[in-house]
Amino acid sequence: MPEERRVPFLTGFVVAGVCLYALYSVHQVLIPFMLAAAFAYILNPLVTYFEARGLRRGQLVVVGYLGTLALGLSAYAGFKSIAVYEAELLQSHAPAYLQQVQKFATVEQAKLTKKLPLPPKVAQHVLDTALNGAIESLRELPSHLFSLLPLLAHALLIPFIGFFFLLDGPAGIECLIQVCPSRFVEQAIHLLSEIDTSLGNYLRGILIVAIAITLASFLGLIMLDVDNAIVIAVLSGVSSLVPYLGAVVGALVGGGMAFYQFGSFSAAMKVVALFVGIRLADEIFLQPVIAKHSVHLHPMVFLLALILGGEMFGFIGLLFAIPAACVIKALVKVSWSWYSSEPGLSVGVAQGAGVPYT
Amino acid sequence: MSALKSLRRWFIDPQFSRKKHFLRSLEIFKDIRDRDVGQLVAALHTRSYREGEIIFVEGDIGRALFILESGSVELTRPGANGKQVQLYTLKPGDFFGEMALLESLPRTATATATEKTRLHLLYKSKLDALLLAQPRIGVTIMGHLARLLSARLRRMNIDKALQSANNA
Repeated sequence: MPEERRVPFLTGFVVAGVCLYALYSVHQVLIPFMLAAAFAYILNPLVTYFEARGLRRGQLVVVGYLGTLALGLSAYAGFKSIAVYEAELLQSHAPAYLQQVQKFATVEQAKLTKKLPLPPKVAQHVLDTALNGAIESLRELPSHLFSLLPLLAHALLIPFIGFFFLLDGPAGIECLIQVCPSRFVEQAIHLLSEIDTSLGNYLRGILIVAIAITLASFLGLIMLDVDNAIVIAVLSGVSSLVPYLGAVVGALVGGGMAFYQFGSFSAAMKVVALFVGIRLADEIFLQPVIAKHSVHLHPMVFLLALILGGEMFGFIGLLFAIPAACVIKALVKVSWSWYSSEPGLSVGVAQGAGVPYT
Repeated sequence: MSALKSLRRWFIDPQFSRKKHFLRSLEIFKDIRDRDVGQLVAALHTRSYREGEIIFVEGDIGRALFILESGSVELTRPGANGKQVQLYTLKPGDFFGEMALLESLPRTATATATEKTRLHLLYKSKLDALLLAQPRIGVTIMGHLARLLSARLRRMNIDKALQSANNA
């Protein structure tokens, strides 16, 4: 007797809702796991490439990790002297930077007080408030940076957890397909395939963009002879994981550094022009290739996702906002495809189907 | 030399080689290059079915090709009296649901596992992605599907002509 199992839609919906709420409640604990899953997901095609040549996954992952460790240590040895020099430079110049900023603010404040079409006392009050706000923000900057320290701790945890995700590879998906009611297997694979296509390409795309921005910024800043090129390039590359933020952060921090270092607006403008150039090159050369293979999101959906992600989960929310929007869009797309391909809704007959076979 | 062999054994996945060998033995994939079969293996999903478990029902939208590795599958359709009529019993090495690779239309029969069965699923969009990346694989598979379709149509025409002759 053929067996047929059905899961009531409402029960599934309620269970999914409860699971999502439970996940939201413990999301802080899940952050390293989510980041590790993303890390493994991005690297998985590389493992699959060699796996398709008949090599064992476990061995590939172990050898890959050992190779990366060796490469990382060599790179560290090579860049160590530059990194140490930059760190020392930043440390020794930090008080002077702050002094320079304060001096600049005072001079500009005096100039603006004269130019503003307001009574001098009112203008002074307005500018004082703005300046105090800015200085207050600068003072809070260290505490914001310290709040990112747990994320740095994850930097070691993520590759560790990611190792196990990579070892398992598609086993989790195969397990999911196995427990899925047999009649819905095709739909389940359809859904997973759609999510994989859009999300995978998006994540790999932004990683390529981040690496390209880091390298281009580093080379550009070195050519412009700006101090702390590594720090600014890495900051810009990491920020670019949040769409559009990389170039803005690079231009602000790099421009500020150049202004301080050379004491002229033209030097700062050169750095701003560098980051505008990098952003344009990204838009012209990289984005079309990435957008071709991933889900296209309307700018409003894009913004909404970022705001919601940031509001609900902070910086991590910003990182995962667009991938989550990609998943939701894939779900909607697949649901529509299932609905529109239901028998009776669309019957397509190929041209020439009525001609007898000869 | 033996150390090299041991290292090779440590690296080479025997399960993958077995899967690849199995696919190479199928008519639909036999002309695909050895290296490309590996890509195909990576695109497959595998699932086991219990005896009596329904794989798909007539009218379901087809989205995948099924390759029978072990066990057996029965294809049935409702007859004139409403009872299920057996159309064909598939044995290991057979594949079915292949028209889903051409168009997503309702299945024309119900497939049921008649014993413990292991199937490989090749999903349409996975194949499409593979075809874009490796057109050589696509040409081979589509060429074979076209020949299969042609043979079935030819047989249908002959059957129809014979039936008309008998009726006359």
